[in-house]
Amino acid sequence: MLDFTEVLPYAWPLLIGAGMTLVVSGAAIVLGMAVGLLLSIGALTGHPVMRRLIAAYISFFRGTPLLVQLLISFYFLPALLGINVPPLVSAVGTLALNTSAFQAEIYRGGFLALPHGQFEAARMLGIGVWQARRRILIPQVMRLVLPPLTNEATSILKSSSLVSVVAVTELMRVSEQAVSITFRATEFYVTAALIYLVLTSLLAWIGKRFELQLARSV
Amino acid sequence: MSFDPSLYIQYGPALLNGFLYTVLSLALANPLAILVGLVIALLQSLSLPPLRWACRSYIHFIRGTPLLIQLFLLYYCGPTVGVRLDALTAGVLGLGANGGAYFAEIFRAGFESIPKGQVEAARMLGLTPWQVLTRVKLPQMLVLITPPSVNQVIIIVKETAILSILTVPELTKAAIRMVGETSAIIEPYVALAAAFWLLVEATSRLGRRLERRVARHL
Amino acid sequence: MTAAPAPIIRVEHLFKRFGALEVLRDVSLTVARSEVLCVIGPSGSGKSTLLRAIAFLEPYSTGRIYIEDTLLGFVEQNGKLVPDRPRNIDRTRRHLGMVFQQFNLWPHMTTLRNVSEALVLVKRIARGAAEETARTMLAKVGLADKADTYPSRLSGGQQQRVAIARALAMEPQVLLFDEPTSSLDPELVGEVLQVMKQLAAEGMTMIVVTHEMGFAAEVADRVLFMDAGAIVEHGPANQLFRTPHSERLKQFLQTWKERNLIGL
Repeated sequence: MLDFTEVLPYAWPLLIGAGMTLVVSGAAIVLGMAVGLLLSIGALTGHPVMRRLIAAYISFFRGTPLLVQLLISFYFLPALLGINVPPLVSAVGTLALNTSAFQAEIYRGGFLALPHGQFEAARMLGIGVWQARRRILIPQVMRLVLPPLTNEATSILKSSSLVSVVAVTELMRVSEQAVSITFRATEFYVTAALIYLVLTSLLAWIGKRFELQLARSV
Repeated sequence: MSFDPSLYIQYGPALLNGFLYTVLSLALANPLAILVGLVIALLQSLSLPPLRWACRSYIHFIRGTPLLIQLFLLYYCGPTVGVRLDALTAGVLGLGANGGAYFAEIFRAGFESIPKGQVEAARMLGLTPWQVLTRVKLPQMLVLITPPSVNQVIIIVKETAILSILTVPELTKAAIRMVGETSAIIEPYVALAAAFWLLVEATSRLGRRLERRVARHL
Repeated sequence: MTAAPAPIIRVEHLFKRFGALEVLRDVSLTVARSEVLCVIGPSGSGKSTLLRAIAFLEPYSTGRIYIEDTLLGFVEQNGKLVPDRPRNIDRTRRHLGMVFQQFNLWPHMTTLRNVSEALVLVKRIARGAAEETARTMLAKVGLADKADTYPSRLSGGQQQRVAIARALAMEPQVLLFDEPTSSLDPELVGEVLQVMKQLAAEGMTMIVVTHEMGFAAEVADRVLFMDAGAIVEHGPANQLFRTPHSERLKQFLQTWKERNLIGL
């Protein structure tokens, strides 16, 4: 018989797990954004060799499963580099690299959709290339790509559940641990699913607010 | 770090077995997902508010929670409702149910892209709803929905790796076993990453060819 | 007779090629201080390409362009021309300002910000002082009251005037105009030409690529007529329009007259 009261003693650990989910996803998204922007600029304006390297990078991270990437970085890299990498760091790092590849494609599309004249006008006024990118191009690209970006952020939030496999105690892992003790699989996994729903709905709401906010100032 | 190709001879059969399970999973999951997506999209298009609400809630749930949780719910919580699924069945059903929600959205956009006038003209000429669907709607939708559909198939191909967590003996699980038994790290993961990368590349290429074929008649 | 002062822009035997296609063929010209030079010609004649080459928005293939006696875009190395570094190009280019056919205002900034941004970023002027200058420039083009408006809420003519103010704020020696009124509805063309006439009267050096023959006839000191990438005829405005020499120019002016008479 289903008994959801069995979940209550675990409320606090579950909430902390949810917090960890947010921390892991948030860090990965932000890092991925910085790297993704640089990659997209490099892919559009860089040296042919750089462009090929970036294309290979994107091809790898988009062409292999995230789980495989997490396993590789968790088991493979410490042996390769010889240093002990905390699971949290390797998990966030891998997630960040993964999303950076997807975000790079999103930003690339955004840059291509911008009228080139904006950049030319900035250059004619003497504004430096990187300054023009930072002040003129990137703010506009962000407005353009907000919908697919919100999608990608939601995707990372959900994919963070996979880091439970590489020893990071976020929401998924806390649920699994609780189930292994209480054997109340349905109660805990349903609860976890509901918490995820709340988190993703929150993210969608934030995304929508951003869209409206930015649309208003144009 | 050393690379020992002889390990592949030793573990070739095991890896191949895992690869076949991967292919089996994606070969079953993709048609299922497309079917589920089509059914949901069609149900949604009927002007029955309760039905539309049910479909939208389903899609909202699937898109708002991680695939891993959905698989766990099917596999571990099935017994609660009297259904005991083995790992592969749960995995394929989970991937199909998950992919189905995304396909439903793709098909919905496709249906909405068809000008109403076309349907009205067809009905005036006496075509039955089924004929309108197969002769008028679907052929025109194909160009619009093929690229995102190919994308979704690639996503499902990569998601079969997650089935390893359910103990389905697919390629990721075989690679992990190989690591455990030989303490070699590079060989298994190189094979794993390469195999998935090949699967995704092959799907991409087929997808591009399909896109060209579909666009030929326009 | 005193020697003429050095021209502010010198173009010598300019060629621009896109692969096998020659878009500019052996173009040479000079522009004197405070001169208004209009470039006219049919579509595809290379007039915009010439202007963009002078602005170095695209590199030229062979030839030389000198801005204030400094070679633009290239450095001489062992007798060959080698592409110059962006920072040097910027420095040479600071004498120039450009007004584009598509205005190219930045939609996510107010008018005031559009005009003041380069002052802050490039000339490192404090934002307060920069905004003061910006307001003065906006007043000059008659848009002081639109300082806090976003470009999307302005008409085409207003946007182009803001674009002129933005270029003026940087105090260029030469203003380049690339078909400044071609994207405007006919009723809005006048307000932009008015600003341009005012600038010419104040002694601004201007190179204007335009289809507005009336403006060219009225305001230009010299006119260049281009066709198929080369300068076919050039000379003082009144001479060129009243007594064209080349067949091509006669034909061009005749077509223009007919089209505009029908328009009346």
